Amino acid sequence: MKKNEMRTGARALVESLEKAGVDVLFGYPGGAVLDIFNCLTDAKFPFVLGRHEQGSIHMADGYARSTGKPGVCLVTSGPGATNTITGLATANIDGIPLVLITGQVSLSLIGTDAFQEADTTGITRAVSKHNFLVHSADEIPEIIAQAFYIATHGKPGPVVIDIPKNCQQALTSAQYPERVSLRAYHPESAATTTQLNKLAKLINESKRPVIYAGGGVIASGAAKDVSILAHKAEIPVATTLMGLGAFDERDPLALRLAGMHGAPAANWAINEADLLIALGVRFSDRVTGKISKYAPKAKIVHVDCDPSSIGKNVDVDLGIVADVKDVLTTVGSRIRQAKHTEWLKTIDGWKKSHPVSYMPMHKGVIMPQSVIESVDKASKGRAVVVTDVGQNQMWAAQYFRHNLPRHFLSSGGMGTMGFGIPAAIGAAFARPDHKTVAICGDGGAQMTFEEIVVAVEHKLPITFVVINNGCLGMVRQWQELFYKKNYAGSILTVKDRPKNENLEGDLKYDYLPDIVKLAEAHGAKAYRVIDPAKLDSVIAKAVKSDATTLVEVIVEPRANVYPMIPAGKPVSDMVFD
Amino acid sequence: MSEKIHRLNCYVENRPGVLARIVGLISGRGYNIQTLTVGPTEDGTVSRMKIDILGTDKVIDQIICQLRNQVNVIEVTSRKM
Repeated sequence: MKKNEMRTGARALVESLEKAGVDVLFGYPGGAVLDIFNCLTDAKFPFVLGRHEQGSIHMADGYARSTGKPGVCLVTSGPGATNTITGLATANIDGIPLVLITGQVSLSLIGTDAFQEADTTGITRAVSKHNFLVHSADEIPEIIAQAFYIATHGKPGPVVIDIPKNCQQALTSAQYPERVSLRAYHPESAATTTQLNKLAKLINESKRPVIYAGGGVIASGAAKDVSILAHKAEIPVATTLMGLGAFDERDPLALRLAGMHGAPAANWAINEADLLIALGVRFSDRVTGKISKYAPKAKIVHVDCDPSSIGKNVDVDLGIVADVKDVLTTVGSRIRQAKHTEWLKTIDGWKKSHPVSYMPMHKGVIMPQSVIESVDKASKGRAVVVTDVGQNQMWAAQYFRHNLPRHFLSSGGMGTMGFGIPAAIGAAFARPDHKTVAICGDGGAQMTFEEIVVAVEHKLPITFVVINNGCLGMVRQWQELFYKKNYAGSILTVKDRPKNENLEGDLKYDYLPDIVKLAEAHGAKAYRVIDPAKLDSVIAKAVKSDATTLVEVIVEPRANVYPMIPAGKPVSDMVFD
Repeated sequence: MSEKIHRLNCYVENRPGVLARIVGLISGRGYNIQTLTVGPTEDGTVSRMKIDILGTDKVIDQIICQLRNQVNVIEVTSRKM
């Protein structure tokens, strides 16, 4: 548009989103955003209608996780905005860049309990990196530019822009700024020479070093640099859940997943290490267990872009606030080639004596872990894997051979059930070059099942795998291990429920709902597998298909995730199958 | 580590929502603000907040880091009372 030409705030918003490089917008309409929707039909980017605002924001999240670009979502005021809270919290704790635009009642009505009015900036403050309440149409282009800047600089995170309806309708000539400058926000920070020398000295002098790589490695695009360092100084690499894919698990130096359900070799290596090089992690309680017994023999180096994450959970010997990639590239020349033959021999011994493995429980019943192995085989390890939360997520973490960054998308910090289906849809929009596979349980799948219709409408060749064990598996596992097998609220099948959850009358089916019929009702191709002998062929057919497919696999209902270090316990308390 | 009163001096952008954000960050972690004063500086676009909180050094350091991470916070300093 020409300089000084007037247009509505809504039009200015859509222009600004185009200028910010948005290539797909997820969302759901409503009264307070109708002016914006009215301009969307002319926009240069497509709009994707979810079926629930939670679905829409998880789609934007899946898009962001698979690309590193901010996912963008547009919803209405009141319930539209409040339905996104879980999605914001999910992105916020995992450091995922999102821009959420919410409608708001007109400025003159704010505070009057108007129809569909909610204090969106108040409600979202604790679950977003930053938020804005727009006061005039003139502010819109500048705020959009700032929001994209904030979402992607420093530790990434979700930014909310609440736009009152009258600001969408008012006229403005304000232009999208060429550059963003924020007076108080300058998150860039680099390692000092002293820090780099100290880091190099620690690495060069260590006998039993371990790299512990997290989501920050993926966010900073440093996977290759981790591999270079690991091979140069022969350092084994463990990853967090968020860091899966940051290091190729087929590499002999890979220790694989660390933490509560991590590989024994990864946890024992951290336990015995004399140097722990923590890159882009936040020492989650799910990784450390009992803090006072964590990495007891190690000097700990922590590199993270977020100053508040250093020393938050674990005291460190060297904290470096900087971009992981910058640190690894600049420290590289100071690191000496090294061999740690004895150390790697010890680790290989652990890998051989305690591999990540499982035993069949009943003849003719599919083990859930084998479903993951089957998908890995069918997709040749190249799929973008999106998980839900619970046992399915942990099995996906353990049994895929993760080898590419941004190919394992999972709600790590928040543990949001219902994330898998919509996030897979967002990822499939972002990465049409790769097969997207969603791994869900029957519990999480039912939370956001309605979004499957979006995949069908847009002809996304996603394979949704629902591992059906007829229960909320991870809840049931904790009840079995820590609550004397009192399965309150965790059994979804008709039989085996505790007595106050007994269902009256004669229900014909044990597994309800019929997930295959449900998927077919949404327009997807759907298959059910019960026989272990048919698993590989059905999964292969679904993964190869160009249609939206769902495979429901009826699995051993009593399978648990092992190994397990119970919450708050040290590595020595690891429980095996 | 023993708990002591720490006085935080925050220079923040003078905008709606900034006070709520800072107070929410502290109270959301279960810490009680003992004293809070907000006033203008000679630069009308900057406000100064004086906040007294009871806590251990470690907790206060963490709060200061998180305050500095805020988009509208220009500078934070602290001293023990």
